Amino acid sequence: MADALSRLKVIEIGELVSAPYAAKLMADLGAEVIKLERPGAGDAARRRGPFPAATPHPDKSGLFLYLNANKYGVTLDIAQPEGFELLEALAEQADVLIHNLWPPDMDRVGLSYDRLARRNPRLVMTSITPFGSSGPHRNWRAEELTVWSSGGVCVLNGGGPNHPELPPLKVFGSPAGFQAGAHAAVATMGAVFARLRSGKGQHVDVSGQETLVSQNEMVYEYWPYMKVIATRLGRKPLQPLEAMQCKDGWIFICCVEEHQWRNFVSLMGNPQWAYEEIFADRLKRGENWEALEIFLREWVGEQTVLDLYRKAQERRIPFAPVSTMGDLLASEHLRSRGFFVEIEHPVAGTCKYPGAPIKYGATPWRIRMPAPTLGQHNEEILGGRLGVRPDRMAQLKSKGVI
Amino acid sequence: MADGPLSGVRIADFTWVWAGPYCTLQLAHMGADVIRIETATRPCVTRMLPPWPEGKPAGLDSSGYYNQYNQGKRSLALNFSKPGALDLAKRLVAKSDVVANNFAHGVMDRLGLGYEELKKIKPDIIMISLSGYGDTGPYKDYVAYGPAQVPLCGLSALTGYIGGPPMHAGYSYADPNAGVHGAFAILAALYHRELTGEGQYMDMSQWECAMAVLPEGIMEYTMNGREPQRIGNRDPYMAPHGIFRCMDRAEKVMGVTVDQFVAIAVSDDAAWRRLAAAIGRPGLGNDPKFATLAARKANEDELESIIEAWSVNQRAPEVARILQEAGVAAFVVADNKYLSEEDEHLKARDYFVNLPHPVVGVKQHCGIPWKMSATPVKVRCAAPTLGQHTNEVLSEVLGLSEAEIATLRASGALE
Repeated sequence: MADALSRLKVIEIGELVSAPYAAKLMADLGAEVIKLERPGAGDAARRRGPFPAATPHPDKSGLFLYLNANKYGVTLDIAQPEGFELLEALAEQADVLIHNLWPPDMDRVGLSYDRLARRNPRLVMTSITPFGSSGPHRNWRAEELTVWSSGGVCVLNGGGPNHPELPPLKVFGSPAGFQAGAHAAVATMGAVFARLRSGKGQHVDVSGQETLVSQNEMVYEYWPYMKVIATRLGRKPLQPLEAMQCKDGWIFICCVEEHQWRNFVSLMGNPQWAYEEIFADRLKRGENWEALEIFLREWVGEQTVLDLYRKAQERRIPFAPVSTMGDLLASEHLRSRGFFVEIEHPVAGTCKYPGAPIKYGATPWRIRMPAPTLGQHNEEILGGRLGVRPDRMAQLKSKGVI
Repeated sequence: MADGPLSGVRIADFTWVWAGPYCTLQLAHMGADVIRIETATRPCVTRMLPPWPEGKPAGLDSSGYYNQYNQGKRSLALNFSKPGALDLAKRLVAKSDVVANNFAHGVMDRLGLGYEELKKIKPDIIMISLSGYGDTGPYKDYVAYGPAQVPLCGLSALTGYIGGPPMHAGYSYADPNAGVHGAFAILAALYHRELTGEGQYMDMSQWECAMAVLPEGIMEYTMNGREPQRIGNRDPYMAPHGIFRCMDRAEKVMGVTVDQFVAIAVSDDAAWRRLAAAIGRPGLGNDPKFATLAARKANEDELESIIEAWSVNQRAPEVARILQEAGVAAFVVADNKYLSEEDEHLKARDYFVNLPHPVVGVKQHCGIPWKMSATPVKVRCAAPTLGQHTNEVLSEVLGLSEAEIATLRASGALE
């Protein structure tokens, strides 16, 4: 099987999640990705972990290792003129450049599409920034939490109508970074596809905030359509749709359609309370959730997670366990599909990583090499590709360019 | 205006609800001809969900939910229980590049539209299925719903207030996540086909796709055998890092007081000193209790109460502005009204879409989260009413005569 993207050469100037994830999606389908990192410090993901035994080490961060497998690693200080020249030389040979430099940093080092396109008009350059390359917030500072909060999704999550004192709650991890990266990969591939016909590259400007505003479920439209503000304090119109505790863990109780509720009632052995008028349909169960919750908590509390999950699914009720990480790694379903992959890394050792988000029938998703150690491929890329001679390499090193 | 990057690409779109329509929306954004195959006998779930336009009755064509995620697409109504409908669907596939669906495993096969069948009609067809559990494995026939995917993928167990129970994401996060990954897969497959002539089938499990964006939790476990603790809005490497209460909105909305918050993330000691000065407490910048990350983490409860004592007496947008001017990452915890009316930046970037819809009129919808310099992307039209383009697609794409269409319509195949 041929790799889908093996003809693409990608340069990544990426920190943390967004640009590295966009480039990873392409690397895992065979694109050649050369990742440029700052000499000395490298990608900030190297300092975020998780780390084995909670001991920070730049080559052992789980986040970094996951995002950067299948990439070549080169250190390059593009803020120095000699470093920028090498970047231009690399970009001249590339199809795509993906970066997530903060716009004021782009200005400072002089990175712009027009400048790179002068030497390579076929180049597709994708800029992933918190708020996009234009507009009054272009230069605003941002971190994962503030971008997530700017996107209209964070405000929806929290303790619910009975706990107005609790603030909105971010979800775990780096969802803003991942969503920006995934949307950027889509837009980048769109530009690459267009280039097959036009022969011309272009600049793609991705706004992290906008990728989140674009996925506000039905909630955003409550303002333009009904002049209703949606927040974490809204009541769920339909019930049950809640996580509940079993004897050995948590399960998500989910009955959206009436037939699902009827099947659940039968699964519970048709208790008399379930036939009360106040629980007669999904809207009434929403209105009277506080009463329903008492009955359900009692019954669910006596069950075990996997047994209730299986029994519900046998009756076409879409319950799901509240999976712990251990549950995911132990899942017979995921094992049978071969989701997790084991990767051996020269410094970090061997462990399991999340695998392919999509299984392709004709083109493989595969791990060809582990994430690079800092500057691992300087010789191979700068020497081998650009013909930088050993004496100049030493000079660049002493100036801190590489 | 130049053509979109995907102009000339046609998608036979059998998707419904959210994940699938979100996938094909990305392709419509880039100029692909996305034709949704729908039926009035079992309408898309989102056509029957709110929000509904003020002062107008609920109806299959007026849902804000549907109208958001189906912008720029066409709608072809086909009732598969009537003779002729299946044949039309197959003829449409023969004229398409991509077939997308997010039905449960096996549904397309049962309809007679499985990949093996479609490959006979169009050998280089690209087909993607975005099901909850994927096409293989012991749970492949399990039923999946958007809200249940968040706990299933592990996100709920990781999300929550300190010492509290597992929480949700507040929306069906796994759906758009699957959709955008599906769009990427389709583009990679289109690129491959353009170079090699080879089509393919792609099997996506929304569950797996959601785990692909959770490495921090999963790898803590695979490296250390440990379940990460729920830490609310905090962060191991930044402090302060949280969501702080500001003044309530000045005006009530629908008779209800609306509270407002600001998100603040301080990434290093210098940013902390800038924040301390901005809140009028410059002495705290070098106070040994807060001067270093380790000190701020050790005194985080006190740190957070100092900041909230300052923020709670001010409007959230003002707090964000003051902190940004001081060089601190901060943003209003934006709600839909803020984004729609108060965020000057989104307005300046011309992000929102205001196109006429035959039933709801002009309502503001969310637009395209990226811009392209050479092949501009633009939402071409509002979401279609059910079957709005049936005649157009049958005549223009499939070459049916008016008489043939009339016969099909009389038989009920176009409902």
